[in-house]
Amino acid sequence: MKTTNSSRTAQQKNPWARLIRSAVIYINISLLIWAAVALFAPTHVAIITDTVYNTFAKVIKIIIAVTIGIGLLHVWVTPEHVSRVIGKESGWKGVVLASTIPLILGGSLFVILPLVKALREKGARLAACIAFISAWSGKAPLLPLEIEFLGLRFAVLRILLTIPFAVATGLMSELILERIFGEKVHSTHHAG
Amino acid sequence: MKLDSGTVYLLIAGILFILSLLKDPEKTKKAFINSGKVALTVFPVLLMIFVLMGFLESFISRQAIASWFGSSNNFLGIVYGELLGSFAMIEPAAVFPFAGFLKQSGAGYGAALGFVMSAMLIGITHMPLEGQLFGMKFMIVRNLVTFLLVLGIGTLFMVVI
Repeated sequence: MKTTNSSRTAQQKNPWARLIRSAVIYINISLLIWAAVALFAPTHVAIITDTVYNTFAKVIKIIIAVTIGIGLLHVWVTPEHVSRVIGKESGWKGVVLASTIPLILGGSLFVILPLVKALREKGARLAACIAFISAWSGKAPLLPLEIEFLGLRFAVLRILLTIPFAVATGLMSELILERIFGEKVHSTHHAG
Repeated sequence: MKLDSGTVYLLIAGILFILSLLKDPEKTKKAFINSGKVALTVFPVLLMIFVLMGFLESFISRQAIASWFGSSNNFLGIVYGELLGSFAMIEPAAVFPFAGFLKQSGAGYGAALGFVMSAMLIGITHMPLEGQLFGMKFMIVRNLVTFLLVLGIGTLFMVVI
């Protein structure tokens, strides 16, 4: 009884509880696939086990290194720092900064989207907001992982292409949103 | 001792960690907890992706994957890569192993790039949040323009690489 009570309150307060819950889901799905194959196609199990083992063996050090790196990055260069730098600049400079600086950010879109929303509310233009989201996909913190699986050439070229891609996505989306849908390039606080 | 790339990355991360610890122990403690959260998020997803890769490896022939994604680096390969990426619903860290798997299985560079970019930027799981935060028009236009321009850089990418 004591444990159920304390675990309930812990679950509400503790962000770890949510993480652990989704971790358990992913592990269960994995085991389920594994078990299903073991049951219906036992000869295929060895291939799956081999793939899982070999791939983990190949990347375990890289992933630990990247994990440490992202942890450090998040306290020394917070997403808020980045948005503060970009938020100050409007016009062209803002779009260019928004297309480059987010390259160094980690996290998922679920973190980036609310951040960009805050940026927009602070007055960043549409193109800068959309460029910010696009540039984040450069994912420099994951570079070691990308090099391992896709090669140095692929990784470097992709990150370099992300910059003009982010500028173009930002400007093109802004143009469409403004000309066709009548959205304001700069947000006003009273809107909506 | 032979230094593989993983060990080099670990060394770099270790050095950065020690530097951070010397500069600000309190921040470094926070960083360590952050890393724990990242690890807890990433490892289970990777396990699932690796099991899935093994599953595809054992049930679907490389020729099939190659023929779907265009072994000869064609334009349609990028579109298929993008479509797969849009529905992939995976963590950014798991995107690269799976893209590598596609590439090894015979998909072209364009398809791999299309998959990576759209798995990061389009994923249907983010659309409700994006629509709620920025409005439906913003969400639709950004996703469509992203899809279109990934096609553009994918083509450029295939030429350059």
